[in-house]
Amino acid sequence: MIRFENASVTYAGGVQALKNVTLEIPDGQMMVIVGLSGAGKSTLIRAINGLVPLSDGDVTIDGESVRHAKPKQLREIRSRIGMIFQTFNLVNRTTVLNNVLMGRLHHAGTMRSLLGWYKAEDVEIAMQALERVGIVEKAFVRASNLSGGQQQRVGIARALAQEPKIILADEPVASLDPPTSHVVMRDLQRINRELNMTTIINLHFLDLAKVYGERIIGMRAGEIVYDGTGAAADENVFRDIYGRSLTADDMLGEAAAAG
Amino acid sequence: MTAATAPRSARPSRPPRSLVGPVALVIFAAITWWAASEEFGLNFDVPRLFSNLTRGAGILAEFWPPEFGVVPRTIGPMLETVQMAIIASLIGCALALPIAFLASRVTSPNFATYLIDRGILSVVRALPDVLYALIFVAALSIGPLPGILALILFNIAVVAKLLSETVDGVDPGPIEAARASGANRLLTVRWAVLPQVLPNYVAYSLYAFELNIRASAVLGIVGAGGIGNLINEYRRFFQYDRLAVVVIEIFVLVIIVEWVSIWLRRKLV
Repeated sequence: MIRFENASVTYAGGVQALKNVTLEIPDGQMMVIVGLSGAGKSTLIRAINGLVPLSDGDVTIDGESVRHAKPKQLREIRSRIGMIFQTFNLVNRTTVLNNVLMGRLHHAGTMRSLLGWYKAEDVEIAMQALERVGIVEKAFVRASNLSGGQQQRVGIARALAQEPKIILADEPVASLDPPTSHVVMRDLQRINRELNMTTIINLHFLDLAKVYGERIIGMRAGEIVYDGTGAAADENVFRDIYGRSLTADDMLGEAAAAG
Repeated sequence: MTAATAPRSARPSRPPRSLVGPVALVIFAAITWWAASEEFGLNFDVPRLFSNLTRGAGILAEFWPPEFGVVPRTIGPMLETVQMAIIASLIGCALALPIAFLASRVTSPNFATYLIDRGILSVVRALPDVLYALIFVAALSIGPLPGILALILFNIAVVAKLLSETVDGVDPGPIEAARASGANRLLTVRWAVLPQVLPNYVAYSLYAFELNIRASAVLGIVGAGGIGNLINEYRRFFQYDRLAVVVIEIFVLVIIVEWVSIWLRRKLV
């Protein structure tokens, strides 16, 4: 279970990106965070794995404090949390497999990893992760030679290779076209259901949030202004979260059934 | 024209022109005049450059025809030059790699390490390779060893400087991904940064090797091994026909090395 206890983040410039947030996310939940850009969605997600340090309060994962973890403990916590990014964050010049093996770095041991002499079992875990997102045949292709959708699936495989308990996804489909967005979202949903990983996703398309979010959190100006099921989140709710009337730009617009 | 004229909106007024350009130009001209002037500088005079040109003609004539009989004597020192460059490039470029990562804000573990590493690099870069060779010859002995040491320092200075600036510009995305996965700093550099800068590193190292070949011709003049020893000898005894052979050989060697390095770069990068 992930717990935010009065968690606040103030950036160096004085911007308060997270204001006194208290939140509980039970194991295995598929939670979507919505809100305008600048509302604090990315900060909330990065507070979970400590990429953004808290200035007040705490975040605990199964009772373990992220804020007070020593560097080594923090890396151990992070190894149990996979992360997926808007711009995929792959190393373009190297192979898909090397990118996915990045998810094994924490487990594989420094000397071995430094030389790239991964154990067969680590390579097998990486291959299985690629299999799960359906692109294992691309293992030895350069990451830069893949399409955007394929690159994001490599990003998902890299997260899965950590064999994490939690998956964080920061705008995972914002760089993809509508059909590919649904493919990636369905991948995430399938992983959430089959592997029972807690999955936390930032989205700015409200229709996607409604379809895939078991639970939806609405954020505005660093605060949680909505917390409810996807089913209950209607247009009025989203209007409240956004503080304005909705436009076509807030929707992905291409209907596709959730798996 | 029948184009429908859209209503003209107010145009922004042009901001006042910056004086930085003209002022810099004036300062630049003044400095040039200072360096070349009769009163304060070197009394640099272009016409005189040409009027004195004929004086060297006599010496230049002695270069021809080259005395190719000395070729067997030059093979050993030429090989030594190449060997010095190979050893110095391998060691220097290997040492430059970690130093470059410590000298970039992106990969340095903390600000103090960054500053200290940058400081050391500046100090190393301050002296030219010939001066290092002179110091090492005085401290050790004549021969290739002081030359190799001087070239190693030179390679560290060049490659670490260029590479650290390349590291400053890498895509930070993969670094964030590696950190998020729980990788430590060393492995983050190895798998998120090194693959991004590897082609540049290879190119800089080959460039350093080319410079080493050229430099080791000069290093021999101060006693630090290689073909320069022979250059010095022929020059001192006014054996310009023999010197001509060495000049031709260096010319050919540098061109071959350049071709090989271009070919290698294309293969590797």
